[in-house]
Amino acid sequence: MVQTNGHADPEALIRLDGLKKHYPVLKGIVFQKTVGVVKAVDGVSFSIPEGQTYSLVGESGCGKTTTSRQILMVEPPTEGEIYYQGTAMNKFTSEQRKDFHSSVQAVFQDPWSSLNPRMRVDAIVSEPLITHQNLTKEEVKKQVGELLEVVGLHAFHADRYPHEFSGGQRQRIAIARALSTRPKLMVLDEPVSALDVSIRAQILNLLKELQQTYNLSYLLIAHNLATVRYMSHRVGVMYLGKIIEEANPQDLFGNPLHPYTKALISASLPAHPNLQREEIVLTGEVPSPLNPPDGCTFHPRCPVAFEPCNTDIPVMQEVTPGHIVNCHLFTGAEATSSAAAAS
Amino acid sequence: MQEDPVLKVEDLRTHFFTRSGVVKAVDGISFEVGRGETLGIVGESGSGKSMTAWSILGLVPQPAGKIVGGKIMYLGEDLLQKDESEMREIRGKGICMVMQDPLTSLNPVFTIGNQLIESLKMDNKDSKPTLIQKATQLLANVRIPAPESRLSVFPHQMSGGMRQRVVGAIAMARSPNVLIADEPTTSLDATIQLQYLQLLKEIQAETGAAILFITHDFGVVARMCDRVAVMYAGKIVEQASVLELFDNPQHPYTEALLKSVPDLNEDVDFLPSIEGQPPTLDDLPEGCSFAPRCPYAFDKCNVYPGESSVGEDHVASCWRLDGAN
Repeated sequence: MVQTNGHADPEALIRLDGLKKHYPVLKGIVFQKTVGVVKAVDGVSFSIPEGQTYSLVGESGCGKTTTSRQILMVEPPTEGEIYYQGTAMNKFTSEQRKDFHSSVQAVFQDPWSSLNPRMRVDAIVSEPLITHQNLTKEEVKKQVGELLEVVGLHAFHADRYPHEFSGGQRQRIAIARALSTRPKLMVLDEPVSALDVSIRAQILNLLKELQQTYNLSYLLIAHNLATVRYMSHRVGVMYLGKIIEEANPQDLFGNPLHPYTKALISASLPAHPNLQREEIVLTGEVPSPLNPPDGCTFHPRCPVAFEPCNTDIPVMQEVTPGHIVNCHLFTGAEATSSAAAAS
Repeated sequence: MQEDPVLKVEDLRTHFFTRSGVVKAVDGISFEVGRGETLGIVGESGSGKSMTAWSILGLVPQPAGKIVGGKIMYLGEDLLQKDESEMREIRGKGICMVMQDPLTSLNPVFTIGNQLIESLKMDNKDSKPTLIQKATQLLANVRIPAPESRLSVFPHQMSGGMRQRVVGAIAMARSPNVLIADEPTTSLDATIQLQYLQLLKEIQAETGAAILFITHDFGVVARMCDRVAVMYAGKIVEQASVLELFDNPQHPYTEALLKSVPDLNEDVDFLPSIEGQPPTLDDLPEGCSFAPRCPYAFDKCNVYPGESSVGEDHVASCWRLDGAN
């Protein structure tokens, strides 16, 4: 069943439509047979307009990173389509593919392992430039200097090695490298969670500034909800390979609808000791995607599960404009608006 | 809190003697924890918070590291005067530790039951069936479902949250007086983290253990701790009760750190951030180590400030507070 997203904007920079990624589980060495399927991503649809941030939140193993790997074209999806500027990715000409690779870049969680320790900073930052553009040595050097200044480092840092920098500075180098090809979309996979607390705000502010200056789109993957609220224009909550709720951050955090979103928000720690939230403690852990429960995949942990939840798969509903949720609690409540959204 | 603190650290100094000079990982810190109390130690990586824990347990890495001064009073006795076998006894029974990564603190080639019974065997000579029964009870105490069947399971067969609870069960096996938790939830997911923090609180209520909670997350502090000590570059720069610290931070570092954390309930356009990088310990500036990043720094800051008392149970080390009293 392909879920339709009421807000799939055809003008968006990138649009995912019913994206699925299933990994077969094989048994045997010579005569391999498939004994199961891990549904890492199971029908994900969303779109990111130019200059905006879309965030995916959820616990580990829910498929956030797998989704980003499809967008980065590291792996082809099993089913579904990704449209970049209106063109389906699997119909790219080689020219378009080349252009795509230079306009989509990534920044990863751990700047200790994402930068090659044996390359100097200038080599790290200029590598994408040399791959994607024909520039002379002088031009490359000039650009590297400019990029380092843009991310708050200095041109003289180009001659150093990654181990000479602190975590925050390394993440700036990773950002400079990602920026070098003038990308339109950046995938930020937990960009600050490996950094020191006093450095996080610096990097988040830098990313926000860069977004405004270069009109960048971000796909942000994070588990810290406060960071997501600070950075995002739209947020999708994932659970076991599906987006179960999507809205703008004000609606999502101010008025969460799905029981899982509520539990996730209540589990985020308070900013002040007097601010004790109602804590919804979920029992158990995320089920294995190899053998997901029937019906709504959340029902074994759901505090308000009722009859249809363990048999029927819920359908996306648009409850208020722009706020969509995948839960039986809202089935039928807004039948008219969901019908309008589906058409 | 009139009774004597369970653990009292006075002017502890743990230094490392390396080829590039002396690294003052812990440089003159003092704090105390009472029964049933939770003290949070907050700081960034390299601020010396984990080394404080290692020093208390007598496990400072040898031969480079050395405790060069101070006292660690545990139930009125100075741990620094104890020999290795006495320390070994205390580590099992009196002071226990839960570490950050449950995967590396459990032995992958032994079953959970094996590892639990090992720690139980230390001080009782019960028969095997009794020990198995006790181990089952321990797992049940940390809310592991179907504890009987879990005894024969290996660590890799459990999820991260489960493993961390097993580590907790081992630590609590001999009902210690002090539990040191070194970032026990950083590798856990949000919903599992909440489960674990609640569990720690429940266990503490039952056993009355003092908890030393080492973390970098002010959210965890707000949820868990009674008092907080903020560490920066090997020193405690501010110490207060939780409410006082959040409402009335006095040290510029604490103040800036609290402001730089985004809030889930509020929309802000721009977060105030702390400029510069955390210092490296082998190249500390003269005087106050926060001065190079401090917006209020002035000429006095090139000498390290003494501790000023700013209200009840609230001390901070900053020259700006010096004139106040």
